[in-house]
Amino acid sequence: MKREHEDAGRMGGDDPMNMGPEIAKGKMVPVMRTGDEMECGVDELLAALGYKVRASDMADVAQKLAQLEVAMSSDDASHLPQIAADTVHYDPSDLYAWLDSMLSELNAPPCAQLLPPTATASRGNGHSSTAAKPSAAAPPRASALHDFKPVVSAASVGRVVCDTEQQSEKILSPRDPKRMRTCSSSSSSSSAKEVASSLKSATEALPVVVVDTQETGVRLVHALLASAEAVQQENLKAADALLKQISMLAASQSGPMRKVAGYFAEALARRIYRHSPLPQADRVALDLLHSHFYESAPYLKFAHFTANQAILEAFTGFRQVHVIDFGLKQGMQWPALLQALALRPGGPPSFRLTGIGPPQPDNSDALQEVGWKLSMLAESIGIDFHFRGFVASSLADLEPQMLLEPEGKRRDRDGVEEAVAVNSVMELHQLLARPGAMEKVLGTVRALRPRIVTVVEEEANHNGRTFLERFTEALHYYSSMFDSLENGGDSGADGELEEQQRHRAMADAYLGRQICNVVASEGTDRTERHETLGRWRGRMAQAGFEPVHLGSNAFKQASMLLALYAGGDGFRVEEAEGCLTLGWHTRPLIATSAWRVGPAADFAL
Amino acid sequence: MRRPEEEEEEERSSPGWRRIPINDNADLLAEILGRLDGRSLAVAGCVCRLWNALARREAVWEVVCYRHVASAGASAAAGGTRSVVAALGGYRRLYRLCIGPALDRLAGVRRRQGPAAAARHVSLSLALSLFSIDCYERLGGGGGRQQQPPPTSLLFLGKPVDVS
Repeated sequence: MKREHEDAGRMGGDDPMNMGPEIAKGKMVPVMRTGDEMECGVDELLAALGYKVRASDMADVAQKLAQLEVAMSSDDASHLPQIAADTVHYDPSDLYAWLDSMLSELNAPPCAQLLPPTATASRGNGHSSTAAKPSAAAPPRASALHDFKPVVSAASVGRVVCDTEQQSEKILSPRDPKRMRTCSSSSSSSSAKEVASSLKSATEALPVVVVDTQETGVRLVHALLASAEAVQQENLKAADALLKQISMLAASQSGPMRKVAGYFAEALARRIYRHSPLPQADRVALDLLHSHFYESAPYLKFAHFTANQAILEAFTGFRQVHVIDFGLKQGMQWPALLQALALRPGGPPSFRLTGIGPPQPDNSDALQEVGWKLSMLAESIGIDFHFRGFVASSLADLEPQMLLEPEGKRRDRDGVEEAVAVNSVMELHQLLARPGAMEKVLGTVRALRPRIVTVVEEEANHNGRTFLERFTEALHYYSSMFDSLENGGDSGADGELEEQQRHRAMADAYLGRQICNVVASEGTDRTERHETLGRWRGRMAQAGFEPVHLGSNAFKQASMLLALYAGGDGFRVEEAEGCLTLGWHTRPLIATSAWRVGPAADFAL
Repeated sequence: MRRPEEEEEEERSSPGWRRIPINDNADLLAEILGRLDGRSLAVAGCVCRLWNALARREAVWEVVCYRHVASAGASAAAGGTRSVVAALGGYRRLYRLCIGPALDRLAGVRRRQGPAAAARHVSLSLALSLFSIDCYERLGGGGGRQQQPPPTSLLFLGKPVDVS
């Protein structure tokens, strides 16, 4: 697919391609179009890539490709140079005729070849399943259709080859039913559907189309990547054509893959058509989505619990403590910390919380409400609690002296300064959208001289230099994320509660907004600039912080928390150089790290 | 086969045997009920008014909770813990919302994946953390200005065991 794209991009160029080596690899190479108007009835999808195929011929073309594939894969090398020499004589824009000619040449040992040794089928399977190679559309389609009954029967051309092929299929089926299924109908099932509908002549009842979602899933991913590449190359027409294909493929999927494809396709469409970016949804809605995401997946709970453990350990022995939360939202992190402080040996400290939040559109004071609730809780469990809320549209607007009390840090009766902890859960990456903001904020944090700084960030690289890089990374990340939401949920004995479904839908929307931001926005709008743990480590080290190892207590607590989740075996808690990551199967998705100000504190601020 | 009355006669006459009507001694009964697991205790609360009153005693549930959690130095911090838990809603509620569902979930895991896979106990600190989050969610906001959505942070544990 990738190769076709490069070639499609070079459309209109003058060099006729040398097809020898490509054919040997079983790839189809597009050539320049003779004339650029598309005849009506030409298949659109292929036309966008440079082939001209009449829609009515599609089935035949596909079938012939299949035969070609079979014939070539079973050929010995002696035939190939002959093919290479011959092909340039024909005008490949007429795909049908060209294939005909190829096949007629190869038909010399016809039937014997096609009575499949299972080797052929496996070779065909091999082609279709090694999707990692950017093989062209044709071979997978071909080998897939080789086993795909309906199209063959619908478009039976009176050729010897065809008949033996049908026979061979029948032979295949009893011998290898499993292989039949895995070698699926390709995505040109989409074109096959067109064919089926246009060829109303195929009035014989078509057997049910067996679509292997795995195969279409792979094709879907390819189509998404190809579309992204087209966008990067500013080839918007190809990208648009691919988007149509994507939406058809996505419909055949189910569950997480469909959702992911849907969100990415929507984001790509926004980017292509330069729709206005998603309106800055009001913070109330965003908070709501955020809290539903909190319910439906363990990521945020993991983040809160591990950060709290680090803060708790840093606060041992201090009688006055102060936590600065860079993104207070609903304050869900703090009840657990308050409870833990209330129960710590030696009694609870005097607790101050400074919560920072964005400005609310309706001027309601969400921060104060959260503060009030927390103070109620703290009072009931016997903690001396103080709260201060700060409204700031960006963290870079903060100054250290604002955050500490006017007279600086509090001191307890022995004159010991209060212990300060700075907590940031998925807030820092947004600063990367504006140059200089990150440095300023880290400088502010350092000026506070905190005992500990806890940083939780998404473990992904969505801030690469090129669009395609970011797109690919995001696709993998959000696929894992959606997969974990789907399968990590409660699918056990309790069944799917309606409420949980609602949470899931909201959580999906929350992630969908992130996807849209990563894919469709640019510049200062693109705030979801996730970076990997390695880069955060570098950044923090450069700003003068040194790492604090999250202890085994945090690890144990996180593991126990995950054990309570129904899909617990899919989630993995891992420790990496003192940082904890939570991931789905082999892919870490969120990382918690802790820092303190390093000894070389004489940085120029 | 001796008839039951004959059996009783024999038993009563043997030395060292005494009948203790547990229903007369509430503390004794509470002591006994405290050795049940959560579900059985809830069932026991359906027997009669006396048993119902005892099955609602916080002290009984405290014993039940501690039996099912692994916590280091439980006895040392017990005093402080008691007041905190009481403030957050009580041991019975703690069991109902956090410990019970967690135990069920772990038992399910054990069933599915074999005994080695599941943690043996629920940790008290974890249970209390979750409990505190739930309590926080239940707090009304701003004088009940808006309809408070039902607390949902514990939904991931599945439907709570109803021991009320």
